[in-house]
Amino acid sequence: MPDVLLSIADIPWGVMTIVLPLAGAMSSFLWPRRALPLGLATALAIVICVAGLGWQLVQQGAQRYAVGGWGAPLGIDLYADGLSLLMLMMTAVVGLGISIYSCGYFNLERARYFWPLWMFLWAALNALFLSADIFNLYVTLELLGLAAVALVALAGGADALTGAMRYLLVSLLGSLCYLLGVTLLYHSFGSVDIAILAERVESSPTVWAAMGLMITGLLLKTALFPLHFWLPSAHASAPAPVSALLSALVVKASFYILLRLWLELFPFASAALAQLLGLLGAAAVLWGGLQALRQTQLKMLIAYSTVAQLGYLFLAFPLASITGWTGALYVLLSHAAAKTAMFMAAGNILYFGGHDRIVDLDRVVQHLPLTITAFALAGISIMGLPPSGGFIAKWLLLEAAILSGQWWWGIVLILGGLLSAAWVFKVVGYAFTRSEVPHEARAVPAAMEWTALLMAMVAILLGLFVPWLLALMEIGLPFGGVGSAG
Amino acid sequence: MNWGAALPLFVLASSLLPGLVIFFLPEERVAIRSTLNLVGAALKLVLAGVMVWGIFHGSHFETRLPLLPGLDLLLRADPLSMLFVGLSSILWLVTTVYAIGYLEGSPNRSRFFGFFSLCVTATVGVALAGNLITFLLFYELLTLATYPLIVHRGTEVARRAGRTYLIYTVAGGTLLLIGTVWLYTLAGTLEFTPRGFLSTLDGASSTALVIIFVLLIAGLGVKAALIPLHGWLPQAMVAPAPVSALLHAVAVVKAGAFGIVRVIYDVYGIQFSATLGVTLPLAIVAAVTIIYGSMRALFQDDLKRRLAFSTVSQVAYIVLGITIVGPIAAVGGLVHLVHQGVMKITLFFCAGNLAETLGIHKVSEMNGVGRRMPWTMAAFTIAAFGMIGVPPLAGFISKWYLGLGALDAGQGWVIFILAGSSLLNAGYFLPILYAAWFKTPADAWPAERSFGRRETAWALLAPPLVTAFLTLAVGLLASAPFSPLQWARFITTLEYAE
Amino acid sequence: MNAIVGVSLLVLTPLLPLLLAFPALRSRLPQPCYIALLPAFILLLALPQGASIDLPWLLLGSGLGIDSGVGRLLLAIAVLLWMVAAHLLHTAKDEPADDRVTSYYLLTLAGNLGTVLATDLVGFFTFSTLMGYGFYALLVVGGDEARWRAARTYLVVLIVADLMLFEAVLIAAAAAGGLHFEAVCQVVSQSTSPGLYLSMVLVGFALKAGIWPLHFWLLPLFRASRPAVALLLGAVPIATALLGLVRWLPLGEISLPMLGLIIMGAGVAAMLYAILAGVRQAQLKMLPAYAAIFATGVFTTAMGAGLGDPDAWNRYADFAYLLIVSLGLGVALLVVSIGWLQARPYSPAMPEKQAADSAPWFECWLGAIARWAVQMGVDTLPRLRAAWLAKVGALWQAARAWHRALDGGERFLQRWVCAVTLFLLLGIVVVFIA
Repeated sequence: MPDVLLSIADIPWGVMTIVLPLAGAMSSFLWPRRALPLGLATALAIVICVAGLGWQLVQQGAQRYAVGGWGAPLGIDLYADGLSLLMLMMTAVVGLGISIYSCGYFNLERARYFWPLWMFLWAALNALFLSADIFNLYVTLELLGLAAVALVALAGGADALTGAMRYLLVSLLGSLCYLLGVTLLYHSFGSVDIAILAERVESSPTVWAAMGLMITGLLLKTALFPLHFWLPSAHASAPAPVSALLSALVVKASFYILLRLWLELFPFASAALAQLLGLLGAAAVLWGGLQALRQTQLKMLIAYSTVAQLGYLFLAFPLASITGWTGALYVLLSHAAAKTAMFMAAGNILYFGGHDRIVDLDRVVQHLPLTITAFALAGISIMGLPPSGGFIAKWLLLEAAILSGQWWWGIVLILGGLLSAAWVFKVVGYAFTRSEVPHEARAVPAAMEWTALLMAMVAILLGLFVPWLLALMEIGLPFGGVGSAG
Repeated sequence: MNWGAALPLFVLASSLLPGLVIFFLPEERVAIRSTLNLVGAALKLVLAGVMVWGIFHGSHFETRLPLLPGLDLLLRADPLSMLFVGLSSILWLVTTVYAIGYLEGSPNRSRFFGFFSLCVTATVGVALAGNLITFLLFYELLTLATYPLIVHRGTEVARRAGRTYLIYTVAGGTLLLIGTVWLYTLAGTLEFTPRGFLSTLDGASSTALVIIFVLLIAGLGVKAALIPLHGWLPQAMVAPAPVSALLHAVAVVKAGAFGIVRVIYDVYGIQFSATLGVTLPLAIVAAVTIIYGSMRALFQDDLKRRLAFSTVSQVAYIVLGITIVGPIAAVGGLVHLVHQGVMKITLFFCAGNLAETLGIHKVSEMNGVGRRMPWTMAAFTIAAFGMIGVPPLAGFISKWYLGLGALDAGQGWVIFILAGSSLLNAGYFLPILYAAWFKTPADAWPAERSFGRRETAWALLAPPLVTAFLTLAVGLLASAPFSPLQWARFITTLEYAE
Repeated sequence: MNAIVGVSLLVLTPLLPLLLAFPALRSRLPQPCYIALLPAFILLLALPQGASIDLPWLLLGSGLGIDSGVGRLLLAIAVLLWMVAAHLLHTAKDEPADDRVTSYYLLTLAGNLGTVLATDLVGFFTFSTLMGYGFYALLVVGGDEARWRAARTYLVVLIVADLMLFEAVLIAAAAAGGLHFEAVCQVVSQSTSPGLYLSMVLVGFALKAGIWPLHFWLLPLFRASRPAVALLLGAVPIATALLGLVRWLPLGEISLPMLGLIIMGAGVAAMLYAILAGVRQAQLKMLPAYAAIFATGVFTTAMGAGLGDPDAWNRYADFAYLLIVSLGLGVALLVVSIGWLQARPYSPAMPEKQAADSAPWFECWLGAIARWAVQMGVDTLPRLRAAWLAKVGALWQAARAWHRALDGGERFLQRWVCAVTLFLLLGIVVVFIA
């Protein structure tokens, strides 16, 4: 192995993935006219950093980095294993797509606020995925929430501001609950580092209370049924790229925290709690699917579909096997790509016709063929039809359900797939017919159409490169030691 | 270059790559588009021929790509898949010529031909699939690729027909998925093995296996148009004639029937299926489908709907032949896969000709059309007689083997089904022929287009003549060395040899 | 050399008429009807010792052949009859032959010649089917209402008879290895339960030959068709069906006295019927029909006798063929002479029966059943289906209430978010403790 490649692995890529977007945010705030090229350059640089981190992990295994040389329990540690690598990769790819899309979407006035906020959010995300202690997770979570709220409010108008306000209140409530939980744990065990806590934690009423608080707070932020009501209005009234990053990335961050805590800190959680989470997930799948069918506006429909897909993630909790976790992770990844593509496509349609009423799509298939192809391909992944990432996820979850004998979760999965199929094909069907209401058409920039298509292709390609992604996931054994054959 | 591993991929690529390129061609580039289409079709035919030759001489063609831990994407050429691949390749070439002529001047041809090529890719993928998950993958791909062709015209009727189609096929695909995953958890493998891989499982899982069988057959039966899952087929006739011809008469329904053959032969094994007791109920369902389809066809005035119900009835012959546990009946069922495809595509081509040239959509408008379009009606006559089972045409051979096999296996009631079906076929085909040849025509055809001295365009006339000639040839030369019949007998010996 | 000539002539005999049936292929030929008969003619003259070829790759393994004895006689008579028919077709004043008539004529000719030359069951069946459909077309083309109705009856009879013969062939193939006449007859005569095969063959060919009591389609047809066709009707389908009986049944090898007696009785009854009904017949045109029924009655009697006493059949088998031949000739003569009589200017005007004959009883019945079935299919069943669908639609509308339920649910969740959150928290803790 040549020395150059070996030495590449020694650069602290993890830290750079946090520092670079921060730098990008500040510079685009200071030089608003250069915001666009600065933002794009930062995005590309982050992708390279994540690739470097991946290389580092493949070569050297899971990484722990002490910021400023101060290790735990005094200082802040950054920890990268397979799971966080996959989350970072997802963020990088989706982020790059959104950055390119936003070049064409925002006018100069909005762009000067969008780019700093977006870079700031990205920094918070990367920091969250690399955090190794629960207080750091709280900080990054809070920053993430604030940046997201600001981005939602960016569109202006009554809808957006109401949605943003509601989002802010919910976000604060959730963070508060989480912080209470952190406090309880710190009080009991004297440390906030996850690795140290994992050794010390034991089953006691304080821990139960802490766990309950943290889980509730995170469920609020992940918009699991019945705490999902804020999501549709927030995601639908935001500008298209913001909706994309909200659905694809922000809600996944709190789920990631929940997953980490569940696997590391609370292995003694009772099976009943897992069943409860699964039940809520099933309700989310069905509720979100049914609501999506009723919608008349495209972006609301896509937002409700997010509610449904997030429910899938929670089906893995009662299944508690490696196959189940892998399935949930695949839902996460493919949903990120597919939902981004869908929101981008919806943005294109909105840009083209000035409205997003489904029945009046007016032969979009002829005017915006790339967009509708992107929508259809993303829909294939969301429905779980082969050959896409969604299909692999569905297969794995079904397999886990049948193997563990809890076949009713499989039924929920199937029903969710059928509901998604119903609304995907409804939209695609209307894309072929002519609308009765004439309206003027605006040409959509090519960059916007192509990014939508490319993101949809990513969702499809996720289904064809499974062994490599699974190999990456295994680094550091995030699921190792967890998951009996329940 | 390892030809053994690459050739199946090349066969797929020969229609996938032209299709993807055609999507991006501008509408006006007719010559390039037609060339791409025809070159792709011819290439696929040549490659399929090479594979058949290789199989005959004992070579192996297999492509294996990792999909999931423990499961591969497997493309394998065995005699049964070559039967279907051969049929698809020949008929795709003929239909491409027909479609080029039929859609001349219509809008959105690039989109049409792009999806057309994707459909054929999916069909060939279904044929070459070497395990159940690859089959499932291409099966769903077929659904997705045929939907845009049904809604191609963009009218409200087309949209609703597409919706019905999707409801049926997506539900069917879901059932197939459940069955496949369950089977995988029970058996640990999904690769197609002659005589099945399930007979080694212990008796405790018999109930589960029966339920899985029902799920799989229900999922496949939607595309194969078995009662009561056939409702999408008559409505899908709103698509343009080349789509009805190739896809709904040949590719999609045959994919379903082919899947049923695969499940019974290469997943369960025919002897194991008989032991489980699932073959007789399926045979009864097929018999009911045969009679019901023919009876519905009697009352249709719309020509394409009548042919659609006839398809429902005829494809069930294949299932009936397989489920009569006996080698001779199996030969009948398998060879009918080819024969029915050739005959039905001729009928749909002729129906398309009548609609395009004279604006005829109903049987009641067909009086005297034999004098105006004699060659088209001659092809229709040959195919119709073939359907009825008149010797020496293709249908006679299939019915012969089905009847003989039924007698051989002791299932005499099948003979009555065959006789009744022949009578009903005569009942709804002969009036059409009579009206066309012997009645006096009305004063004016509904919407006539003139083609000079020819009765219709060359591209519309040649394909039905070619396929009618094939109908005659596969019947007359059925005992010749390379006929579909001999190939079907070859396949059966592999399955039934102890 | 001789072999090659023989083989090619054998193949050309049915093939040439078939090819000439396409208008495009005979556009430049004069007198295609006569040219089509040429290979058969040459075959008769050039090959006194007979020839045969085996074509295992054709169909399911068949062949063509002609022997030196009776077969040649049959072929000769066939050629003669067809020539006369062609002459009549072209010289008929009221209905001259056009392009389509010639095509159908040639198709029927091809089928007929093929049946004479066939050496196995499937080949015979194929050619006789071709002949039957071609003949139907010949009957129908250019005709009026009465002719169409009569021809339709013939078609239904043809289809049903073909079905029965198909079953018979299947049974034979299931039992025997090959399909040649000798092999099949041997297997059938030695089998323990030949009943199904025999009954199928008997009924099937009886329908095709118009043997009493299955002769009902014959009379309307004679009444309605043109002279040339009537000639052919007398000779060709009936004679071919009788030939089929002789070839398909293992006469001379099997002994069934009971069945033979019944068949003999039917034959005698047919003869009596033909005489009685023919005498009362006013129309001259119908005489050949009754003559045909009489002749088939004679044949049936002979066949019955042969079934009862195989040795007798073996001795007098050739006479059976002679009988067929004479039947054909006789009917032909009758038709020709009557046609000539009627064409003469001073022939007595025959009182024509009412042209609008009432349809025979079975047609009324079948027509009524068909009309009821059509009414059910087109009217009643769709109405029932529509009513049921309307009911389902009403239920579906009621189910739309779930729209309102969902909306209500969303509003509830929004208003009571804090309460719901705390409730959830409580639930989690309780579950923990549990």
